Amino acid sequence: MSVKAKKRKGPTTTKVKEERKVPEVKLIPVYIMGKRYEVPEGLTLMKAMEYAGYRFIRGCGCRGGTCGACGTVYRKPGDYKLQVALACQKTVEPDMYVTQIPFFPANRAQYEFAELTSAPEEVFKLYPELFRCVACNACTKACPQGIQVMDAISALKQGNIAEASRISFECIQCGLCTSRCFGELAQYHMFQLARRIYGARILPRAEHLAEMVKAINEGKYDDILNELKRVKKDELEKLYREREEEPVTAGEDWKPRDTTYL
Amino acid sequence: MSYLGYPDFFEPYIKKVEQTRPVRLEKRRRGEEFPFMSLKERQEMLKYHPDYKEEGRREIKVGPNKGYRIAHEFVDLLESKSRVDPDKVDLTSDDYEADVLVIGGGGAATIAAIIAEENGAQVLMATKLRHGDANTMMAEGGIQAATKREKDSPYYHYLDVMGGGHFKNDPDIVAAFVKQAPDALQWLENLGVLFSKFPDGRLESMHGGGTCRKRMHYCADLSGMEIMRVVRDEARNRRNIKVLEFSPAVELILNEHGQCSGALLYNMETEEYLVVKAKAVILATGGSGRLHVQGFMTTNHYGATADGIVIGYRAGARLSFLHTVQYHPTGVVFPEQIEGWLITERFRAEGADIVNVHGEKFVNEREPRDVESARFIKECLDGKGVPTPTGKVGVWLDSPMLDILHGEGRVRTAFVGKWKVYDRLGIDISKAPMLVYPTLHYQNGGLKDNAECETAVPGLYVAGEVTGGLHGENRLMGNSLMDIVVFGRIAGRNAAIFARERAKEGKLTLDHVKRYHKELKEAGIKTNRVAPMLLPDYTSPEVKEKQLTVSHLGTLR
Amino acid sequence: MSLAYYPGCTLKTKAKNLEEPAIASMEVLGFKLEEITRWNCCGAVHSLADDDLIHQVAPVRNLIRTTEQGKNKLVTLCSFCFNTLKRANLLMKADTEKRNTINSFMDDEIDYSGEVKVIHLLEVLRDEIGWEALAQKVKLPLRDLKVAPYYGCMLLRPREVAMDSVENPGILRKLVETVGATSVDFPESTRCCGSYQIISDPGVISAYAWNILSSALSYGAEALVLTCPLCAYDLGQGQEELVKKRAEFKGMPIFYFTQLLALALGLDHQVCHFELNYGNPESLLREKNLLP
Repeated sequence: MSVKAKKRKGPTTTKVKEERKVPEVKLIPVYIMGKRYEVPEGLTLMKAMEYAGYRFIRGCGCRGGTCGACGTVYRKPGDYKLQVALACQKTVEPDMYVTQIPFFPANRAQYEFAELTSAPEEVFKLYPELFRCVACNACTKACPQGIQVMDAISALKQGNIAEASRISFECIQCGLCTSRCFGELAQYHMFQLARRIYGARILPRAEHLAEMVKAINEGKYDDILNELKRVKKDELEKLYREREEEPVTAGEDWKPRDTTYL
Repeated sequence: MSYLGYPDFFEPYIKKVEQTRPVRLEKRRRGEEFPFMSLKERQEMLKYHPDYKEEGRREIKVGPNKGYRIAHEFVDLLESKSRVDPDKVDLTSDDYEADVLVIGGGGAATIAAIIAEENGAQVLMATKLRHGDANTMMAEGGIQAATKREKDSPYYHYLDVMGGGHFKNDPDIVAAFVKQAPDALQWLENLGVLFSKFPDGRLESMHGGGTCRKRMHYCADLSGMEIMRVVRDEARNRRNIKVLEFSPAVELILNEHGQCSGALLYNMETEEYLVVKAKAVILATGGSGRLHVQGFMTTNHYGATADGIVIGYRAGARLSFLHTVQYHPTGVVFPEQIEGWLITERFRAEGADIVNVHGEKFVNEREPRDVESARFIKECLDGKGVPTPTGKVGVWLDSPMLDILHGEGRVRTAFVGKWKVYDRLGIDISKAPMLVYPTLHYQNGGLKDNAECETAVPGLYVAGEVTGGLHGENRLMGNSLMDIVVFGRIAGRNAAIFARERAKEGKLTLDHVKRYHKELKEAGIKTNRVAPMLLPDYTSPEVKEKQLTVSHLGTLR
Repeated sequence: MSLAYYPGCTLKTKAKNLEEPAIASMEVLGFKLEEITRWNCCGAVHSLADDDLIHQVAPVRNLIRTTEQGKNKLVTLCSFCFNTLKRANLLMKADTEKRNTINSFMDDEIDYSGEVKVIHLLEVLRDEIGWEALAQKVKLPLRDLKVAPYYGCMLLRPREVAMDSVENPGILRKLVETVGATSVDFPESTRCCGSYQIISDPGVISAYAWNILSSALSYGAEALVLTCPLCAYDLGQGQEELVKKRAEFKGMPIFYFTQLLALALGLDHQVCHFELNYGNPESLLREKNLLP
């Protein structure tokens, strides 16, 4: 049976400034939750679903690959492999079978961050299920960010919070790892905890920042700022024009000539 | 067939960039910069900026800012009816009660919620999408604060903010901002935000457009995401913060004393309208890129539809600086899949050149964003843009320079987010340049407030992109992330105090909505438009034509 | 000479006092223990169920990492890791059907069929360095120290993975003697410590510990030496109970074999992290003039 699909114009999701002729586009078949639609090639999965007539409430977020709202799984014909993608990032391919996973239940521990130390046991206590990992690596395969999720879990088991933080830094918390986990771990919540411990308890603190905060709290800049607020526009423009520029190529040791307002 | 991952079409153009690269690199190494424009030249250049196109805007005919000229897309929303008939809403019983209602799910809202809770309030957050679905999540570049006393101070930060905003910013707000920025940064550090640091803990910092000192701090190129993740995590730890997702506010509710006393929410999934009664309200609904002002592409989140502006204005808050919209100079033009996406200013801050079709520099890479955007548009209008096979035009951002200037692997490590996105499309941006053009990025203005985040409506506080005043007519990179932290905290604290000390018990009312409807009628505006928009509509006209039994209310069906 | 080394999670958290003296000692002996990268948990417990292949995945993955990193021999310190890795390796070598299933399940990794040799550090000392050569490196003989070697289960059972005679092992005795101490043989030296029952039934652990410790005491031992963090934990935790309950029992220090080795090789005692041991070994060592 052949079904004739009427050709529609190209995607209308992004408008462009200049009027231009929309070229005829080639349509390819894609199965959204098992149902066949024809969509223009070159679209992202998200735009393809919108083209087909879907209207997102869930499963759509930043449309820029950083929010984790549009986790998607798909299979291609003749391939047993389940693949993952972010719908806003992945370009449609002919005959792919697609479904989004806009939400997946995950265990998150509640904690008082102020009371946590840098000890690995903090993670063990809050997430004892960490040790249910059997190293099957399904999480890594399910990560649309290409993060070595299992390696980061291994690092946590080894008490290496720093390593887990580094490996997981680009985690967008879409939950696809959790949806595939054999041990029922919520990896992304564990990584979040690890990164916070790393940032606040392991990495050295910025002393210069603490000094600046202290100086401000002591009122060192109050007069300067109050004066600036009263300066007339012309005078302000002059101050602006004459302010000394730190060169782009300057190193950390650069110092300005004028130190009056420091 | 491709050249460095781009279609063959681009080969001669990329070769031009490669040809001029060694000389440009040499200049960079010598610290030789393309001259900045004078203030006068900048003013001239801004004529090419979309904000200055008179046919793009009109006067608004109703509300406290009657007569104010802003983009049609905003006026359309402000001259719309409520999603509900105010007479039909039963305000005598409420579905939720809270001390402080926070409307919005991004950085400003979350930070405000945390601080309100710390100040003793029971907090309810109403978010349109998931908690954290917001422009904050997408901010890549960094966060500004003067932290290095040997070379920087709030004084210089103040000058930079004012200069960027054409000296029209609200001085009180700017002064409060620059003064509290370092403390806000330390607050984030305490919560465990992973800033990029030197081994001794010193924060890495760099320039942004319009800064005179390197005070842009960052978390690789995922600054907003890292901050959002951490504050959301912290909010989830707080027992007195409750979050209602997929429940945007469609009207503010006042009480008989004129205080803001809650909001009407719309559960987008069950399609119910719900009454929240609160003692104070914080509006932190973010920006409006999804209005596609003047048809521009946008970097913004799916939910950036100016909802807060609409409901705040109806309730009596004023507008300020909404006549300017920020176009980020460097949005992707090609490949098409990622069209409109933002390429962080940090590429330019670290020394990547902007060049035209001849491989020539034509602008300093660190002009304020509006000037930089206008300059790109002019270059393309002058016929010196790079064409694409899809019929568009852009200029090159020469990212491979960074690997040469800072050592191999710089692009891969310092811009890992972008590198990956391009890599998936077969382009290695440490070898090939990126083609860019201005894209709709930030709502410079919004609801008018003061340094205490107060609006004209008692009990209504605002924070973040929904406000107008801090950035004047143009925001500098890194000041929006700091905006949400500084003013999110202030709004949270002040709302909690208001709830405790100044809120008065009284009858709830939507009379302001009725009055607004009346005003629309009196102004002769006949329309079926409803607002807030809540979500943009990307359904194709062909599909819509066939949805015969569907009824639409605004953009929602 | 460099040896591919698998530490295991516990050595990175609770049992630094097993790992650090090992690395330092081996350096003195001319070997670099080079930790393989991207290792994961050893699997912790060898699955006794024949059809439970998923628990083989973790150890096999570590073996794959080893071949990936160009090594064909993997050294362990913890007897649990040793046991799990070695048994998984044997399975991959011997059982074609299971090997194929596991390889096909792990389609993200290269195929593996048991090419790596899994050994324990004790075997390196015995077979590659030799007791005599080791004896010559001893700078501080641990004279007068009476130590009972405790093997537990994992070094010796089942027979296919045993590094020594199952019934009458001697490898720890040889080590104790080589470092100049007196080895005290006792009948309970290969009895189980109670293993993971510490989680479900701590009472059992206490009873097991008393069996083992009282036996060693009665043969005149002043301390125990062992190779396994779990044994160390059980016998240590168990002791705390016993000291409370039994007035006559004053506790017995428990050493990791690597600590005795490092001490005898004349290394700074800091590297041994005695502060992490149960039973206050430092006072005993001081008594014998083995610590400053």
